[in-house]
Amino acid sequence: MFLNPWSVALCLLSLAALFLVGIAGRTALSVLRYWDPASDGPRQIRLENETWLSSTLVQYALGFQILSLVLFTSAADNFSQVISGAMCATGALTANPFGLPALYLKLVGAFFYGFWIVLHYLDISSERYPLLKTKYIFLVCLLPLLIVDAITQTLYIANLKPDIITSCCAVVFGEGGGSDGNLLGIVPQDKVLIAFYCLAALLATCGHFLFRKLMMPLLLVNGVLWLCFIGLSFVAITTVFSSYVYAMPYHHCPFCILKPEYGYIGFLMYGTMLPAGFFGIASALVCLIPGRLGLDNVIGRFQKSAVLLSSIMLMLFVTIVSYHYVIYRFLGGER
Amino acid sequence: MVVFAAVIFLLASFQMTTKALTVAAGESLSYAPEILIQKMKAGRQESIPVNYMEKLTGIFGIRSITPRVWGYYFHEISGANFTILGLDPSAMPLGDQLSRAIDSGNSPGTHETVVGEGARSALAGSGSSLFSLFRPDLTLKSFTIVGTFKPETDLLTYDSLFMPLGDARDLFALSDDMVTDLCVTVANPKEVSTIAKKIASLLPDTRVVTREQVQKTYQAVFGWRSGFASICLLTALTSFIIFAWDKASGLTPEEKKEISVLKIVGWQTSDILTLRFWEAVIVSLVAFLVGYTLAYVHVAFFDATLFRPIMLGWSVLHPALRLIPSVDLSEFILVLCLTVVPYLAATVIPAWRSAIIRADSALN
Repeated sequence: MFLNPWSVALCLLSLAALFLVGIAGRTALSVLRYWDPASDGPRQIRLENETWLSSTLVQYALGFQILSLVLFTSAADNFSQVISGAMCATGALTANPFGLPALYLKLVGAFFYGFWIVLHYLDISSERYPLLKTKYIFLVCLLPLLIVDAITQTLYIANLKPDIITSCCAVVFGEGGGSDGNLLGIVPQDKVLIAFYCLAALLATCGHFLFRKLMMPLLLVNGVLWLCFIGLSFVAITTVFSSYVYAMPYHHCPFCILKPEYGYIGFLMYGTMLPAGFFGIASALVCLIPGRLGLDNVIGRFQKSAVLLSSIMLMLFVTIVSYHYVIYRFLGGER
Repeated sequence: MVVFAAVIFLLASFQMTTKALTVAAGESLSYAPEILIQKMKAGRQESIPVNYMEKLTGIFGIRSITPRVWGYYFHEISGANFTILGLDPSAMPLGDQLSRAIDSGNSPGTHETVVGEGARSALAGSGSSLFSLFRPDLTLKSFTIVGTFKPETDLLTYDSLFMPLGDARDLFALSDDMVTDLCVTVANPKEVSTIAKKIASLLPDTRVVTREQVQKTYQAVFGWRSGFASICLLTALTSFIIFAWDKASGLTPEEKKEISVLKIVGWQTSDILTLRFWEAVIVSLVAFLVGYTLAYVHVAFFDATLFRPIMLGWSVLHPALRLIPSVDLSEFILVLCLTVVPYLAATVIPAWRSAIIRADSALN
């Protein structure tokens, strides 16, 4: 189904990102090969200049990747109007085996580009560029990810057939056990809720202590907890919170909340949860950078701001997802 | 920036027209019967006997079955194909609501018809409400126009003539026990597909079409046409991108001097890159807003005059329906991705080239 403006836009975004990261990757290879901090020859000056280009290109690619993530869910929602049986993005994404992997790849890709940019900012804060080789090896590794992303997306679009019957979100995420398309199985709502709020409280406590004093073991634990929290949040949004947004007990869907009829509340949810998770994980990952590189102060400063940002975003996220739940459960519903 | 705004205008107009047409088709179809049964023979549709209705009486969940005559009449004088729709309004569950679709006048009685706006102007241009149509044996059958359809339903009714079942049969010389299709209304919308399957197994020589399928086909066709048009417009976009790349690559001596001076006063390469980035963002966003607003005006006030023939097809009588453009966040992002992203991608490398100019280059 390439002849559709959404498919065209998705392909265009992928091509643009591939083009930019491809050029950045070429710079990465020449830096890895010829970089010599002791030299002041023309090649070294050219390479120094090109490092600016590559960082700008990856930042653009990150922007495009985030845009592509939003576009992909909107496109899937739009495709669902054409595909038999699909009523929202869930149906369109499960219409063939490439839809969900393409979405996950885009999500993971956005996190990886973000980590690269963090690495880059830490690196350029020192005049000796201590992380130069690490960040360019990382950049070369990003390229296959982007290619796999583009291929999966192309396969998804190519295999979309309007006449193949798929399932709507009511079946895929529904509670009716035994349906062969159920993505989440039967998840007990109370347990998910308890786990969600306990983990959120734990993360807030960790954030509080870390903001007062940075401790490496706690930072690592915090990072792992954030990783779990992202997964749990998707489950909690799908199985519990979304149905309160729709005001329909049997409608569980992580995509319909992105629609205008629900005030785009899904964008607010994911727009706070994903950056919170990103900063939470990034603050732990930078612990792995060896201490002898003279970046201690910079890393410490970054970790403090990352911990603060993730805690603020966490509070916003918990408030936004709980809004409809609290209104229905404790305040007697909307009037 | 003018060229960029023009490209955005074209793309956004297309997108808005598609969306508005899809919404219009969806709204018009919401009163259509849930299931249509057509008899097939040798892969072609043919008349269906009315007694097929009796075979379906056992299916639980069917609210009503209405026989219908649906056909096309080629009107030689205007060169247009009219859609003739013959059914008995009282036999349909929402038949009493038909008056809601009729702008003026009443439901048609014998030898009377309710027509769409396009058909009315083609048939009764002289101001008379009487006209005649030819039966297949070239004998004349006369009708009186007793009403017109509302403009909101133009997408479906613009070229239509609505008349009682008997008159339509007479016009097409169908025998009394034949119609072109059977319309089935279903009480519970969730049962539509199950009932459609049951009908298909009871009447194996028929084609069973559900309203959802018709709606999806409309969307697929509009989506396909708009996708095709987007690809055509991509050539315009590509040439614009090449132009932008070229323009951004060739620095004038003044620009070189400006960058050198900035570097001398202490600006870093990254500062100039940031400046260039914001410059590109402002240019593209202004062009985007101008283009998008113009597209909105074009669709809302000029009814997408430029593109309507492509989207609506090749019929002689085009509906003069009013398009209501909807500004939707996802459509906004779509047009943004189709236009601003390639522009930003094309200008980043020239921006970097200009940012690495050495501080002393302009002083030489």
